[in-house]
Amino acid sequence: MSYIVIEGLHKKYGHSTVLSNIDMRIEQGEFITLLGPSGCGKSTILRIVAGLTDATAGCIQIEGKDMHDIQPKDRQVGMVFQSYALFPNMTVKENVAFGLHMQKVNNAEIEQRVQEILGIVHLTEKANAYPKELSGGQQQRVALARALIVRPKVLLLDEPLSALDAQIRKKLQEDLRAIQRQLNMTMILVTHDQEEAMAVSDKIFVMSNGEIAQSGTPTAIYTKPESEFIANFIGHYNVLPRQVLEKMIGGVLPGDGLKFAIRPEAIHAQAMEGDICFSGVAKQSLMSGNVIRTTFEGECMFTMEQLHQRGQLFEIGKKYECYVAKEDVIALS
Amino acid sequence: MKKRGFADFFFLFFVLYLVLPIVATTLYAFSSKWNKTILPEGLTFKWLATLFQDAEFIQAFGRSVLLSGGAVGVAMFVIVPAIFVIVLYFPQYEKFIQVAVVMVYSFPGVILAVGLIRVYTTVGVPMILVVLGAYVIGILPYIYQGTRNSLRSVDARQLLDAAQLLGASKRQAFMTILLPTVYPGLFAGALLSFSVLFGEFVLINLVVGSRFETVQIYLMKKLSSSGHIASAVVFIYLVLMGLLTFVIALLTKRSKGVTNI
Repeated sequence: MSYIVIEGLHKKYGHSTVLSNIDMRIEQGEFITLLGPSGCGKSTILRIVAGLTDATAGCIQIEGKDMHDIQPKDRQVGMVFQSYALFPNMTVKENVAFGLHMQKVNNAEIEQRVQEILGIVHLTEKANAYPKELSGGQQQRVALARALIVRPKVLLLDEPLSALDAQIRKKLQEDLRAIQRQLNMTMILVTHDQEEAMAVSDKIFVMSNGEIAQSGTPTAIYTKPESEFIANFIGHYNVLPRQVLEKMIGGVLPGDGLKFAIRPEAIHAQAMEGDICFSGVAKQSLMSGNVIRTTFEGECMFTMEQLHQRGQLFEIGKKYECYVAKEDVIALS
Repeated sequence: MKKRGFADFFFLFFVLYLVLPIVATTLYAFSSKWNKTILPEGLTFKWLATLFQDAEFIQAFGRSVLLSGGAVGVAMFVIVPAIFVIVLYFPQYEKFIQVAVVMVYSFPGVILAVGLIRVYTTVGVPMILVVLGAYVIGILPYIYQGTRNSLRSVDARQLLDAAQLLGASKRQAFMTILLPTVYPGLFAGALLSFSVLFGEFVLINLVVGSRFETVQIYLMKKLSSSGHIASAVVFIYLVLMGLLTFVIALLTKRSKGVTNI
């Protein structure tokens, strides 16, 4: 049996359905991400798991124990909030030690465990600072330390990095993953950032309109999107209708999918054996870090991405032949 | 430039308009004689000393503190918990409090007094308790605003959730996290309410009158007998209000920074 089981979860607010038939199985030590646009219900799942919101229907089990009648304080579930929710009247040390005081751990052990966890999150020298004296990144680390120190069975992370700037966010993503592996802790992260989800997760649940649209490893989600929503949400996929794509390649595509997705980096300018060929006029080239994203206009608009160092610069207004491997043309349901 | 001069003139005029009566009253409270000259002919502490030797004043002062403090105390124990529960757990009902807050402002004191007298004189409830009850409702706007703003500025619901997930009961979360965090705002609201009630005259005078003489009723009485004593009463009142304002400002400033009170 899985470590965490969520079965048939429904949540309604009045007549509005927020979650519909959510089923999830999570193994111990897994880093799970709930990925989706704002308002898709991902944070509601976290709150229901934590016991802060009641489900309309369905059940949650942690280590085989039904959580239905168990109070939040007794669930052994930790949570890091988007706004961190640090206690403003307490120092970093007091914030981190709060959970241990509630568990009535003796003072010597509290001191030792607080020092240990502050060391892990690199905040030992800020132990006596108040939350408002810390940067956003430091506050996030305190929130993480405070949640981790009580050794919860599962740690819920509700967009904890969304308020931070890109550089700090990337550093903290790495730290978060490293800590999770070090402690072998089960974590569920909520985010709307697909790059963040790809960077840290063992498994991703992509959500749309209160339902799970697709789940799988980051690689599976990225390389095999099952629907147009996933293809659009997870990356810069080219989503093309069957008729348009068949007209572009001058042939018939297999299967009965009405739309097809092609990753922009799967399109290239050098022909390889068995590739599908189509043409387009280069309209725009944008550099995004080490990637050049070029938009072409053929039977429809499509985008190609190349690494800058090996990338071929396209002349705007000129027609080019483009190629893609057959297996990179993904039929969508 | 001309416009600026005009604005400065009006600013100065309004400052004088507001400050002059206060300065004049204060001077009059300390003047030995001030009848035919621009400034007092001499200064004295005689009127203040007389006032503090007057048992009637001390009693009136005590009654004002008791009545205002009592109303604020009752509001803290009855209204504040209700506001906490509504703001944190039933925000959909906040609109009803907002209506109540507006209604408090919309009832003139005279009408309120007549209404209270007509309803409660036949019931047998002591009228001073009726006034106390009216005061508790009267300070609802100040208490509500102070409490609500404090709760919202710290995202109180999330703090409670965080504390509970760390193993705290609702009561522990409230006592150890929420109360110390919102206390400056609550205290500022309480002081503001106290100062408003301390200066209230219409309701207490019409409903209870001289049967329960407060500072304001004492002041009214002294206005006809001694201008110097009346000025001394106003001076003491101003000092008290100044102190309360200072404490409120101090608390508000501290609550914006690191809340480590």
